[in-house]
Amino acid sequence: MISQNTRELLLEVRDRAAAAGIRASLVLHREKSHLMRIGNNSVSLNTSETLTRLDVRVLDGRREGTHTSLGHIAGRAFVDEALSIAVEKARVAVPKDYEPILECVEESVDEAPQDDAGLADIDPAVKAGVYAEIIETLGKGYNFSGSWSSGRTEIYLVSTAGPNEACHSGTDQAFTVVLKHPGAKWELQNEQSGWMAGSVTAATATAALGSLLPLYERQPGARNEPGDYTLLLGPAAIAELMLYALYTGAQGRMYEEEMGWTTGMKIGDQVFSERISVVDDPGSDLTFRFGFDMSGMRRRPFPVIDRGRLAGLMYDLGTAAKYGRAQTGHSLESTSISIATGDGPADPMRAVAGMGRVLVIPALHYMNLPNMSKGIVTGSSRFCATTAVDGVVTAPIFSTRLTDSFRNIFGNVAAISPYAVSVNLSSTYGRRAPVAMSVPSYMVVEKVRMTDCADSF
Amino acid sequence: MELLERMKAGISGNIARMAAAGAEYSDARFFADDRSETLVLYDGNLEGNDTTFQTGTGVRVLWGGAWGFSASSDPEMLDACFDQALANARTAARLVSVPLRMGRVSAVRGSYRSPVATDPFGVPLDEKLAFLVDIDARLGEDWIARRMVSAGFTKRHVLFLNSDGSEITKHTANVFANMVIMALDVEGRMQRRSMTLFTTGRGTRGWEMLRDPGLFGGHADRIKSELSALLGADSLEFGKRSVILLPGQGHLQVHETIGHPLELDRILGYELSFAGGSFVTLDSIGTLRYGSEKLSVSSFGGIENSPGTFGYDDDGTPEKDYLLIDRGLLVNVLSSRAMVNEANDRAGRRILDGSGGAARATAFYRAPIDRMTNVNILPGTDGTLEDIIASTRDGIVLDNPTSWSIGSNREHFHFGCEIAWEVKDGRRTRILRNPTYQGHTLEFYNSLSAVGDESTWVVCQVDNCGKGEPNQVMQLGHGVPVVRFDGVVTGERS
Repeated sequence: MISQNTRELLLEVRDRAAAAGIRASLVLHREKSHLMRIGNNSVSLNTSETLTRLDVRVLDGRREGTHTSLGHIAGRAFVDEALSIAVEKARVAVPKDYEPILECVEESVDEAPQDDAGLADIDPAVKAGVYAEIIETLGKGYNFSGSWSSGRTEIYLVSTAGPNEACHSGTDQAFTVVLKHPGAKWELQNEQSGWMAGSVTAATATAALGSLLPLYERQPGARNEPGDYTLLLGPAAIAELMLYALYTGAQGRMYEEEMGWTTGMKIGDQVFSERISVVDDPGSDLTFRFGFDMSGMRRRPFPVIDRGRLAGLMYDLGTAAKYGRAQTGHSLESTSISIATGDGPADPMRAVAGMGRVLVIPALHYMNLPNMSKGIVTGSSRFCATTAVDGVVTAPIFSTRLTDSFRNIFGNVAAISPYAVSVNLSSTYGRRAPVAMSVPSYMVVEKVRMTDCADSF
Repeated sequence: MELLERMKAGISGNIARMAAAGAEYSDARFFADDRSETLVLYDGNLEGNDTTFQTGTGVRVLWGGAWGFSASSDPEMLDACFDQALANARTAARLVSVPLRMGRVSAVRGSYRSPVATDPFGVPLDEKLAFLVDIDARLGEDWIARRMVSAGFTKRHVLFLNSDGSEITKHTANVFANMVIMALDVEGRMQRRSMTLFTTGRGTRGWEMLRDPGLFGGHADRIKSELSALLGADSLEFGKRSVILLPGQGHLQVHETIGHPLELDRILGYELSFAGGSFVTLDSIGTLRYGSEKLSVSSFGGIENSPGTFGYDDDGTPEKDYLLIDRGLLVNVLSSRAMVNEANDRAGRRILDGSGGAARATAFYRAPIDRMTNVNILPGTDGTLEDIIASTRDGIVLDNPTSWSIGSNREHFHFGCEIAWEVKDGRRTRILRNPTYQGHTLEFYNSLSAVGDESTWVVCQVDNCGKGEPNQVMQLGHGVPVVRFDGVVTGERS
């Protein structure tokens, strides 16, 4: 947890700023990260980083300035300098045509709902051991790659707008292993996630990869002609499709600025199948739980899609200020999106038993939006994609491209799994920001447009 | 200066200590100063007025054929940082089947400084904002729904030392800028037109780039006019036709379907779990017909003014200027020292002659990986844009991406663009909305039928190339002329 000395230092600077009439928020973000990368059956990189960032935001009337210092917080001078830079930037800034809102911690929070010292301090040898066991079990004749990121994220937020402090500490991990045939170019993948040491196991990976190996070894790849198909989507594909759909359809800013596919719609309009319900639920243990957002607002369950109807739009601090809306606790990177499970059979193959030829697509690669206004998404199948005929997996498929609208994909839902799983969606572009989504373990969708297919996997 | 000298002595001592402990190689990058500034005017409101300062040291140790890496912002923790990197390497060495090797090279002593006339960090903030506000005012019209003008500045001072005895200092600087306008079309859907700061390849990398109207601000009226015409335009219909890519689109095509597939770590399988692999194999080097004879592609290309020009890479290798594709034949790849050694070992012969100087890290707290430098299509002999249009029977001219999606081994792609101009029988006829095109990489480049001359060649800047785990954002440039491809699938099936 953030040390008492650091807290007291930031509180002292905040109080002095408030006394001087400065409107400022201070956020300390500290990460202790570890990553092991695997390539060609070897550990190719084993890293440790401990990084501390101080973000300062200052409002001067309608003027605003922000500054981030990444470095060793040696004392008060470090914090004072960061604050003075932001103060000067705000002083010179161009004023906005609306009233910006300063972060305000609405109630003191000191939370660590998912913090495991065992994971934060995991011995890298444990990771190397898990990978070694997977390679040993499945065979060194294959080429294994992957990565295993783990760490602890600590966030401490205070503001001159109030006396409260918000403090969060949590651990997370994202594990992947990819098995590649040395000659045939097909790749199988297993992903695992969680916030506790021990939740990633070699046995889980070997079972998942081992179950598909005979099919890939026995059957050549199948090619799909462009056309409409029934898809059995796996959790990673469901999560990424829904993330893109919500980003472009349920974010307050996209909606207000008429850029997304819900432009012209209103709350209560039917947008997806009645089988689809989505809640941003910070209490779900299948997501990474943040009890407050970066505006200082307490986060509570927030319905986004209710039985296919648009139920809520997610507003962050800046959008709420600009468009005069209420904040909804979405000034953050880590939403806790939970897609409701359904009443389909537990076994996904039973769900497609009478449906003829179905494309089984567990994951999609490099999605993007050729027409954001119409909510059209494209991406290609990746890892473990197969065909199934009447509920029996028959052959691996070559990399095939999906190009269709969110409304069509989530509007033609034939079955949803009764079980939820966690999908890790963390991006490590910048600071450590763990994100996970709770999704049904499968979803069957019909009449989805496939637009291309490669000649290889 | 005192800190820099102290860090230099500390790093040298630790490198010697690592060698005594059995390390095969070690290096450190001390970022004495790494700063950035981002200014964003959105609908006239200053929504981004950000600066970031960071300082720290990243250490790599190669021990037992495996890398250990550690980073710290605290100069007092330098010894501990080396110890951690060594401990990480020793742990990693428990699982090695293909030992990584840096090989032996001569020590390099040098320095590099980006050409800058006016340091943007020395320009007062109010002056910078006044400049952006002026452009914003020129973009504003009643019919324009959204407008955005942004500028970003970076400056970095890095000291690099390694166990070869190399000592390199780098002062790099870059300027990025973009303007975007959006408006609702006849269907009530948002359309956009944008202009990104580009360079001529020569010149400097300071505040003066923005002040040159030919490079940036002078394009505001043009994009307004084009967006206006776009709003009532017909949508592109599905069909096969020629596509003529302006540099605004061509650079992304090169980036995604030549640059990334030719990164050697991808070819060797080190990116499979995240960014993907490549359809290119080691056997492809010297044998694969990547495109028509009109396609020649270089790495670096002698470009002084590009974010992909940095003097020395993060292995200590001086920047190189070489061909990747020579008249359609694949002849080389983008590489770093360890990857070249592994490729030659795996091939059982010397297929690559030393590192391509492409090892780069985005910050002190990330380990270097193989990254694109400047990957460029060399100018051709097919004249100007108008000459190429004149020789096109049925096609479209495309500019600026709105969407890009590429298969995991980069063998197929789907791109959306801001705008298309229809070409019929050698003449531009009308503007078309919502253009998209797709293809298979080798088939596409083998359909290359025209390459514009030097007058069409522009160095496009990329400030957000993502790769690696933990992910790293990198900056680079692509010099590209106008290019034409035939028989391309365009638009979406109804």
